[in-house]
Amino acid sequence: MTGILPWVILFVPLLAALSITLLTLRHRALSAGLSIGAICVSFVGSLLIWISFDGGSVQYSTPWLSVGGLHVDLGLLLDSLSVTMLLVVTGVGALIHIYSYGYMAEDPGMPRYFAGLSFFTFSMLGVVLSNNFVQLFIFWELVGVSSYLLIGFWYDRPTAADAGKKAFLTNRLGDFGFLLGIILVWTTIGSLNFGEIEATMRANPEIFGSLASIAGLLVFCGALGKSAQFPLHVWLPDAMEGPTPVSALIHAATMVAAGIYMLSRVFFLFNETALLVIAWIGGVTALLAAVIAIQQDDIKRILAYSTLSQLGYMVMAVGVMDPTAGMYHLTTHASFKALLFLGAGAVIHAMHHEQNIWKMGGLRRAMPVTYWMFLIATLAICGVPPFSGFFSKESILAAALEHNAILFGVGAGVAALTAFYMFRLVYAVFIGPPKSNAAEYAHEVPGVMKWPQVLLGVPSLLAGFWGIEHFIGQSFASASAHHAAAWHWQILSPFSHAPLAAFFGLGLIGFGIAAAYAFYGNAVRDPLPDEMGRLSTAIRERLYLDEAYTAMIRYSHEVLALIADWIDRWVISGMLVRGSQWGTDLAGRLLRMAQTGNVQTYALFLVVAVVVVLWFVLKR
Amino acid sequence: MSPITFIILWPLVAALLIGFVPRENRSTIRMIAIAGTFFSLFIALGLFFQFDTGEAGYQFVQREPWVGALDISYYVGVDGINLGLIVMAALVGFAACCLAYDVTERQKEYYILLLIMIGGIIGAFASLDLFFFYFFHELALVPTFIMIGVWGRGEKKNYATFQITIYLSLGALIALIGLVALYVQSGAETFDLVKIIESTASDPFSTSFQKVVFPLLLFGFGILVSLWPFHTWAPLGYGAAPTATAMVHAGVLKKFGLYGLIRIALPLFPEGARHWLGVIAILCLGNILYCGWVAMRQKDLNLLIGNSSVAHMGFVFLGIASLSLVGITGAVFVMVAHGLLAALSFGLSGYLYTQTKDLTMTDFGGLLRQMPFIGTVMVMAFLAGCGVPGFANFPGEIMVLFGAWQTVPVAVIIAAWGALLVGAIYMLRAIRTMLHGPRSEKWTTLVDATSAWRKLPFALLLAGLLFLGCYPPLLTEKIEPSAALVVDRLNGDEKKASADLKEPTLTKDLSTKELSSALSSALAWQERRD
Repeated sequence: MTGILPWVILFVPLLAALSITLLTLRHRALSAGLSIGAICVSFVGSLLIWISFDGGSVQYSTPWLSVGGLHVDLGLLLDSLSVTMLLVVTGVGALIHIYSYGYMAEDPGMPRYFAGLSFFTFSMLGVVLSNNFVQLFIFWELVGVSSYLLIGFWYDRPTAADAGKKAFLTNRLGDFGFLLGIILVWTTIGSLNFGEIEATMRANPEIFGSLASIAGLLVFCGALGKSAQFPLHVWLPDAMEGPTPVSALIHAATMVAAGIYMLSRVFFLFNETALLVIAWIGGVTALLAAVIAIQQDDIKRILAYSTLSQLGYMVMAVGVMDPTAGMYHLTTHASFKALLFLGAGAVIHAMHHEQNIWKMGGLRRAMPVTYWMFLIATLAICGVPPFSGFFSKESILAAALEHNAILFGVGAGVAALTAFYMFRLVYAVFIGPPKSNAAEYAHEVPGVMKWPQVLLGVPSLLAGFWGIEHFIGQSFASASAHHAAAWHWQILSPFSHAPLAAFFGLGLIGFGIAAAYAFYGNAVRDPLPDEMGRLSTAIRERLYLDEAYTAMIRYSHEVLALIADWIDRWVISGMLVRGSQWGTDLAGRLLRMAQTGNVQTYALFLVVAVVVVLWFVLKR
Repeated sequence: MSPITFIILWPLVAALLIGFVPRENRSTIRMIAIAGTFFSLFIALGLFFQFDTGEAGYQFVQREPWVGALDISYYVGVDGINLGLIVMAALVGFAACCLAYDVTERQKEYYILLLIMIGGIIGAFASLDLFFFYFFHELALVPTFIMIGVWGRGEKKNYATFQITIYLSLGALIALIGLVALYVQSGAETFDLVKIIESTASDPFSTSFQKVVFPLLLFGFGILVSLWPFHTWAPLGYGAAPTATAMVHAGVLKKFGLYGLIRIALPLFPEGARHWLGVIAILCLGNILYCGWVAMRQKDLNLLIGNSSVAHMGFVFLGIASLSLVGITGAVFVMVAHGLLAALSFGLSGYLYTQTKDLTMTDFGGLLRQMPFIGTVMVMAFLAGCGVPGFANFPGEIMVLFGAWQTVPVAVIIAAWGALLVGAIYMLRAIRTMLHGPRSEKWTTLVDATSAWRKLPFALLLAGLLFLGCYPPLLTEKIEPSAALVVDRLNGDEKKASADLKEPTLTKDLSTKELSSALSSALAWQERRD
């Protein structure tokens, strides 16, 4: 029974995607039902696995591709890490599936949407369950493809089509390093299975020799793309062009989480140098994204940059050698970020697809359920106790303080910024005065969109008391062991465990919220651009990073392409091929002149030839 | 009779039959062509599933002596290396005949030439005799030139025909010189490839000879495969060729050169191969990266597909340069995968061309809305082209990259860049321009393929790509033992190689075998009684 369950969890969404594509593309409700049913089956299966889980690590595998020394299995690995992710992916995913049925109700492409959603779920579950590198890479790429299809779901819109393309290509850039890293690991260790690689590395820590840091960093490149870390973060804000539930799915529970999950999965691969680089990239991403988020006006873009910032935290956690904290934050973040996006989706739905927060306002009264749920999620993301985000964020800050004081400072600063931009959003959208007609006449969303929010509110509020950290910690024997405690002690544990980190963090969060109230408590428009001037413009323009990328591609590959095309057209095809054609032609014409048919000419040639030969012979 | 003979003969017989049909009976002509290739495909599939997986030697062998004095014989057989190619060729041949309806003039001659081309190339892949190996290839090659010249399209038709003819004839000629040299030098006085390989196992060619003759085969065969920088004929020729011709040539005929390298050049000239390894690795990067860049600049769909197909050939060369089991198995896998993909891509572009007579990509837009079926297949073909898992190209390219790492790591890094990034850039741009975005204003009345009959060839090729992509052992398990023989020879492991190579198992046509054994035992019994 338990042996077949993981396979069912993995393949039921694929089955749904296939049957929708091949059979029920014309039946809207049936397609939605198939897709929602599939993920619910996967969720129930994951719950069953979790209930019977005993803390060990089990693998089920069957050979897939085996040539020479290259053995790739189709294998499923169950340990506390993957079981946690299973619950997150299917649980949050299922709620988003249900919510989508309301959000996409009027879209003619709904069956295609649900097929894409199920395919996406399948790919993500494949990443979670993989027990070897190549299988992970395969599903990794499939996540890329399905996100391409979903972000570009409204492909008629040029912006959506461009955003899908950008996401895919940026991810491919990261995957380039990832693949090379995998090849390097395979050639060095001779195996692709995570367990075998870990065992080999434990027996022989110096096996990579001088390539140790490079191998780790190449593998990290994969996470750089998928988890949208600086400098490959540019695809994620653009990915907002997809339907809002897709954003919720990609940003909360699945795609971007894949990078963090992968880093935790192969944590044994990174040496100190690699971890230092990883920590700094995480810190820089967290700070950069938080700064940019302060001056965005599009509700989804603010959330997108907040995702980037929180992902930076998680990567930083892995970098400061506490993957448990990173995974913990991933879990809590999955619920409150999904909730924020579903709330944003509800607002956008109520505002008839208006996304500018300065045209909203006062929605607290019109949409009470959405407001309260959004507030819970906001408090969670800010890290206010006793909401779930508090615990996970504090454990990251504590780990940072232990290893790197500067990064701790960055992390704490980002916490303040987070509180500031999130409450800016809440004040502008829900509390401040209405700034448009649509905002005054908005209505609460229907039940199918309301209840998933309420259900997500529960873990956003309470996940800090469930001992998730200890459950995940079973996978990292080396990581510091936290003791399980009663719930009322858990709320205090961050203060006793790392009091400096906790109090300092809390103080900054309070400062952020207070600043947001001072600036935006009753604002009808953003006062910051006037006060900050050019700095604000730069932040609004996303620090010109996207422009830099466009320029970089234009001046590298476009120019190379231009040169290659020119050489092809004029040198190889033109000069060499046509040249040899003309050369042959010319030789023929010249030789033809000799063939005059005139006997005297031939006699002349004969005499000249004889003279030349005689001279040649007699010279010696 | 080996079933292989029937696979070769059915298209040729169909060509002969069409010769007797009056040219007005167009549908009869078409039906005969489709039926002929269908039978061929049917037998080829049967062959594939009857093939004894895990066996390294030749199976379904048939040998009919022809010129005794020169030891030339009609000698066919399959092992893991050519089995996949033959089945792929039969599939592409069938799909090409189904999609040849864009030819509206002189159909009789067109179908005869197309069928000769299909039969010829299957024969070339199946032949284990150097003479027939070359003869069948020429039989397939010459109709290509005529078809592009007579039924070709576009302003550059004549120049394209001219270039492709000169180039390919030159390549075939250089390869011929190499083959003649190897025939003379081997001293075995036979055209029998198996015998030549056996005799050189104990008495290999001298190193200096190998170093001289290997490049003849490398560049001769290389020109046939559009090895950089001898590639410019390919995009131009495919752009001018009628749909079915482009499908069969790009998909199948082009693989002949690669097949020749793996089948003849590698086992006979292992020293030469090792000596020229670096050159192959550099030239293959020319294919992958340089032609990828050229593809980025293309505005015409056919030129884009043509250039990307040249780029994909680079992976096969990289696999050959790896000289490793994983790499060469991957190379053979990519050959089959690319055959299906190239045929599918040119089939799709041909479908558009019949309606528009113009393939400028920027004129299209929002095709997914306008033609859901063709559009979806097109998206999948483009995604397969940039190496997305699930399609056959992915496992092939993975094997090549993994296999080549130890031999030529730098080339692998650059090739991975070309595969993951440059390929994705031009493929996704094509999707963005043609299939996504708002509807085109120029082409408003395009018709989608709705009938099952029209969808069939596309569905078959796509199914092939998906099957091999999702379950590669279907092919790799068959390729690996035969590729292992080649690799053992490359590594100078002669003993192992000759031990692996058992006597070719004679034709598995059980009925004949049983019949003859029954007959002989009956005769023996008769003799004893007498």
